This record gives sequence, structure tokens and C-alpha cells, in this order.
Amino acid sequence: MKQTGLVYLTSGSLIALLFGVIVTILIPALEAPGPTALAQKYTEQELRGREIYKREGCWYCHTQQVREFEANRSAIHQKGDIGPESLAGDYYYQSPLFWGTERQGPDLTHVASRFGTREWHILHLKNPRALIPGTLMPSFAYLSDQELDDLAAYLLTLK
Amino acid sequence: MWPDEPGSASRRFFYSAVFWLIVPILMGFTLSILLFAPPFQDLIPRAWQPYLNFGRLRPAHVNLAIFGWLSQAYAGAIYYILPRLTRTKLFSERLAHLNWWLWNLLLVGALLTLPAGLTQGREYAEMIWPLDLLLLLNWILLGVNVWMTVRRRREPKIYVSLWNFMAGILIFVFVYAIGNKVWAPSGAYTGMNDNIINYFYVHNLFNSWFTTVGIGLALYLLPKLTEKPLYSHRLALWGLWSVWTGQHHQLWSPAPDWLEYLTIVFSILAAVPTIAFTWNFVKTMEGRWTQTADDVPLRFLVTGAFFWFLTCVQGVAQSFRGFSMFVHFTNWVVGHSHLAFVGDYSFWGFALVYLMFPVLVKRPMYSRRLMEWHYWLTTVGLSIFMVTLWMAGLIQAQNWLTNSVPFIETVRSLQPYMMIRFIGGGMMVAGQFVFAYNFLRTALARQTKTVAAPMPAGAGGGGE
Repeated sequence: MKQTGLVYLTSGSLIALLFGVIVTILIPALEAPGPTALAQKYTEQELRGREIYKREGCWYCHTQQVREFEANRSAIHQKGDIGPESLAGDYYYQSPLFWGTERQGPDLTHVASRFGTREWHILHLKNPRALIPGTLMPSFAYLSDQELDDLAAYLLTLK
Repeated sequence: MWPDEPGSASRRFFYSAVFWLIVPILMGFTLSILLFAPPFQDLIPRAWQPYLNFGRLRPAHVNLAIFGWLSQAYAGAIYYILPRLTRTKLFSERLAHLNWWLWNLLLVGALLTLPAGLTQGREYAEMIWPLDLLLLLNWILLGVNVWMTVRRRREPKIYVSLWNFMAGILIFVFVYAIGNKVWAPSGAYTGMNDNIINYFYVHNLFNSWFTTVGIGLALYLLPKLTEKPLYSHRLALWGLWSVWTGQHHQLWSPAPDWLEYLTIVFSILAAVPTIAFTWNFVKTMEGRWTQTADDVPLRFLVTGAFFWFLTCVQGVAQSFRGFSMFVHFTNWVVGHSHLAFVGDYSFWGFALVYLMFPVLVKRPMYSRRLMEWHYWLTTVGLSIFMVTLWMAGLIQAQNWLTNSVPFIETVRSLQPYMMIRFIGGGMMVAGQFVFAYNFLRTALARQTKTVAAPMPAGAGGGGE
């Protein structure tokens, strides 16, 4: 049985794949920008908080990405308080990224500029409905005091 | 544990696929409650609350649906089709059984780890490192069986479905490995590139695995169910065409603009395979449309193809910057993903089960009436679900862009929509329970009558 077709298929698929990898992965990696002033180097506690943010899946409902056309215009509580546009270098030290794809809740890129105290965040994490009637956010009262403190510390880096 | 009987692995894959359909839809149902009645959380015992919280249940719902139900239904169908299109035995039935065991091990692993909060924190790539490796191994085992069987074929012509299986599996293995950074336990890259690579993977998970392989399966089902050769084999090969970047999932993002423009060009080019497949489908269906009135599997296939076309049109529209600006981040996108996943690929999955399972267990489906219930509950439920989400998405988009009302106002105003979505979702869940019941009764029925395969055993895809 002739197998030349299989050779064509394999090489064709691999060439297509290689093209995708070069364009989508290699070139953007080569021209990736350096850190901006907003790029955060995390402390140990903030990093622990970031891990909790990841573990509890906060990023499924909250994006961390302010787009050009909505920057300083969209309203979270009042007009414009969504904050300035996100730049690639803002994420320089982050892994993984929490850009997100859905906003069941508001964008959190600059949440610390809207709510500045650790106490408020911990209270809100424990009982969101008491502070914001009608919110969809679930309660995270099952987290330990230490975990809540870490998570709040991370949220406060989102300036 | 490792029977050598032809078709036994395929049969097992269908059994477990139906099980892995029920688990994630129950999770989805719970999520839909939390989206209009958050106090529902208080009814969950405190000890269970962490595991059933929205942010942990959502990835479990998604991963089990895509890598469980649909991927296993695909694998079962591939193992069923391979010997028939190559006119030879499967390269190794035992290897296929090993594949089945390891695949279910993977899914049990996902079921235990994701609600426990063990995640890599990247969409569609949540599974932790050991599971990443296990997943890769599973697709490699499947690939080995496919390639070796095709190499040993006794039918000189390779039907288009086989091309699609081979290309899809080959590309997916690499895409998964790169997208999930399988050589590193964290599974994540650093900085902006993490997201670019994540969406390269997400897009090609759908493009190489669900679409390329799915089109291959549809092109097998179509001539089988209509008992008519495919309109054009040459046109079908145009379906082997991919969109290579995934950046149109993240337009207006901080990623480079040139990448966004490139991805838009590729998205528009996707019109070529879309039109090729749709044209081929419609021409093959000519003179057979009325058959859908009483042929449920064919009706699932045709409805799936219609939803597939709609997905492609929506997908291209969403990849324009103007439209993306409007609907991105809204519930519109949730509607779109269910249109693609349930409306087309799962509908084809149901047609696969209804065609193949009776042949594999040598008896007809237990109840035709229940098949009708399955079709109508799923189709009507899904339509209510999607249309409601699209409307909700447009309301969100409008409110966000006019910058006038606080965010929470929009959330509150959407509550009725979320309730209707819950009802539509409930109908879908009911439909799947009907399906599972019918499936189980078929599996457990005493073997009284035999059923002939819809086509002579060993016949090709109908294209020859």
C-alpha cells in the first residue's frame, strides 16, 4: 500500500504548526516589552494571596485588563473609575496572567485605587451581599483569617 | 480488563462518555443557579462550600465536558470508524483498552483536583502537571492506533475522515504540549506571552481537535445516515484548513496590534472551509431533507451542522474589533461557547452514539420516543439558553459602553435573564437524563432481537 499520502499529511500539518508557533509564540516573545511603572514585584505574602486568587477562581468573573476605548471612561461605581489602560509591561512579573474572558463582576486591574483598605476587602470577601446588595459574588468566609489577609494583601497591589 | 474482541474498546468509550456527560451538566446546572440566586450558596453545608464554589466548579464543568463527554465520544467513534474505513482490524484493541483506562483515570483525577482548587489558573489549561502529562499520553496512544491502523489498511483510498483524524490528533498533541508548557510543573509562562500562548492553545484545541476531527466525524455520519455518497470528496478536503493564531479571543488586549490584525485576516479566511463544508453538506442532503422528520440521528446531525454554520458566522463576526469591543467579556460569549460546544459538536456526538452504539451492542435503541424527547428538550432548551444569554450580553455591552450606570446596576437588571437561562439549562439537563436513561436501558436490555448495521458491515464511508 502506498504511504506517500501519510508523508504529505504529516509534513503539511507540522509545517502549519511550525508557522503558528513562529508567528504566535516566538515573534511576540522576542519583542515583548520591559516592565512599566505599574509592574509589581510581589512580596511573599502578596504571592500567597495571588495563589489563593488563582485557586478560588476569582479570575473567571473578574478581568484584569482595561481596554483602550473604556479606559478612564467606564463606570464601576462612578464614571471613569475603571482606571487607565492596561499595557503589556504591566504584567511583566506575573505568571500566570489573569486577563480573564468574562465580567460577571467588575474589572479588578485598579481595584486598590477604588477601595484602599484591607479591612474593607476582608469584610467584603466574607460577606459580599451585606456590602453590595444584588451582587453575584459568593462568600469566601470559609477561608482562614491568614488566607483572607493574604488575599487582601494581593488585592491591594492592584493599583 | 483487556479484551481483544473487535469493537469492545469503542463500546467502553461510549459507556464512559455518557457518564462524563451527566457529571459536568449537573455542575453547569448548579452554576446557573448561583448566577441568579447567590444565596443558594448558604444552603450548601459549610464543609462543602469550598468545593462547590463558583470559581472551582466552573473549570470542573468545562474540563469534564470537553475532555470527558465529547472527547470520549470522539475517541469511541474513531475506534469504531477506523476498522470500517480501512477494511482491516484495529492495530491494537488492547492498546485501545489501555487508552480507555488511562483516559478515565485522567478524568477522575480532574474531578478530584479541580473542585479541590488544584489548578494552573489558565483557561481550558487548568489541569495540574501530572494530569497534563496523562492527557498527552492518552492522545498519543489514540494517535498511535490511528496511524498504525491506517498504515496497515487494505482499502487503498483514504477517506477524508481519516485525514481529518490524523491531522487533528497530530497537531493537537503539539498544541497541548506547548500551550500547557508541559515541561514545567507550573504550566504557565510569564508576562503577556502567557496569555498569547494560552489562547493559541485554546483556539487550536477547538480548531484541531473538536473541529478538524469533528468535521471528519460529520463527513462519516452524513453518507451513512443518508445512505448516499458524499457530494464531493475533493471539496471535503478543503475542510482541512485551520486558523493558526488565537488572538482574536483577546482583541483590544495589551498584546501587539499586528498580531490582532493577523488573526483577523486568518479568521476571515476561515470562511473558506466553512463554505466548503456547508456547501458539501447541503448538496449531499439534497433529496434527503424530509428524512429528518423521523430519523433522529440524522436530525441531530443536520441541526448540528446548522448550529456549526451559525458558530462560524458568529465566530468571524466576533473576531472583528468593532464587534469584539461590544460583546467581549459579556454573557454573549458564554452563549457562543455553548452554541459551539453543545449545539454543534455535542449534537454530532449524539448522532454518533445513536448510530454506533446499537451496532456495538447488537440491539436497537431501547426507545425511539425517548430519542425524540432527547432531541426536542436539548434543542429547545439550548435555544432558550443561548438567546437569553445573547440578549443579556447585548444589555451588558450597551450599559458598559455608555459609561453611565454603575456596574452593579447592570448585574441586578440581568437577574430575570439569568432565571430564564436556568430554565433553558434545566431543559437541557432533563434531555441528557432522558438520553442517559435510554442509553442505559439499551445497554442492559436482554439480547432478544438482533439489529442489522445501518450499512453492510465493513463498508466504507459511502464516499467510495
